[in-house]
Amino acid sequence: MAHNVKILPGATVCEDCTLEGDITIGGGTVIHPRVSIIAEGGPIIIAEYCIIEEYSKIIHKKSEKQENPPKPLFIGAHNVFEVGCKLESIFGHIGESNVFECKSFVGTSVRIGSGCVIGAACNLTAPQTLADNTVIWGAENNIREALEKQPSQVLQLDFLGKVMPNYHRLRKQNFHKRQPSRQSQDGK
Amino acid sequence: MELQDIYYNKFEYVETASGNKVSRQTVLCGSQNIVLHGKVIVQSDAIIRGDLASVKTGRFCIISKGSVIRPPFKKFSKGVAFFPLQMGDHVYIGENTVVNAAVVGSYVYIGKNVVIGRRCVLKDCCIIEDNSVLAAETVVPSFARYSGSPARLVTTLPEAMPDLMTEFTKSYYQHFLPTAAVK
Repeated sequence: MAHNVKILPGATVCEDCTLEGDITIGGGTVIHPRVSIIAEGGPIIIAEYCIIEEYSKIIHKKSEKQENPPKPLFIGAHNVFEVGCKLESIFGHIGESNVFECKSFVGTSVRIGSGCVIGAACNLTAPQTLADNTVIWGAENNIREALEKQPSQVLQLDFLGKVMPNYHRLRKQNFHKRQPSRQSQDGK
Repeated sequence: MELQDIYYNKFEYVETASGNKVSRQTVLCGSQNIVLHGKVIVQSDAIIRGDLASVKTGRFCIISKGSVIRPPFKKFSKGVAFFPLQMGDHVYIGENTVVNAAVVGSYVYIGKNVVIGRRCVLKDCCIIEDNSVLAAETVVPSFARYSGSPARLVTTLPEAMPDLMTEFTKSYYQHFLPTAAVK
């Protein structure tokens, strides 16, 4: 497997995490220690200003009906992956401003729009599509619609971006020019 | 009921002068901001985020495998701040639990796979059952037993809770032994 991790300027990526396969990490994104991002079924592209906390797992699974070349998994901007959440996806797109709370699980055949919240310890396994602003909460995976937009995490990102370099060994950014957006669209 | 001895690999754990036993496989970020008050056990793969804000624990705390102790943040009109996390004495935290609380009192038992939401306050002498999810900013009163997702009060606890927890954590510490001399 080709190990090809691109870290764009402004991203904060701890050294103590597992990055396998073809991964692009956008500027302003913060990746905490002990995160695993595994791109086994195709590249993973993480856009700007995401927060990925400890023990989160983002896996781009291999699927049987895989196209060649494989579609990238594109994770939109401002997503928050809290401690211990797990995302397995074979679809190409995850919207913006979603919150995956602690220990949530999103299975392979779930499509996620924008502004969704997957509550703590909720499991989504059945094939389904979450419309924009859906909130999943509680033990019975209740569904409701969010009345207001998810607040942006830019302030927290600023803080983390300032503090983390003082305490952690970081992976160096290795991609200096902004990637032309064409490149990601070619695969579709 | 007497606890069974739990053996650990002598080379995996570091024992400090005050009796803290800390696994080498933990992630202690910003260790200058972490205060373990003595006789604390931190097991492998636990993460304590001292880099975000200071974390203080009391005596005889047990932090089990794979748990994450992480100070909570709060948003203000100007910027965000991470709050220091304080933990009392005789606290047990189960495996794979995430603690985002602001305050954890003394004699608290937190089960495994629990999520303690942001800025929760756990008063002295309470129990959070396994697999519960405590919603953000919940205040758990003393002598309460919480369970479910989102966690709610199920029963109250006997008055002997401080003694029970003292007994439990002390005997856990005493039974947490290095493997018998390697032959």
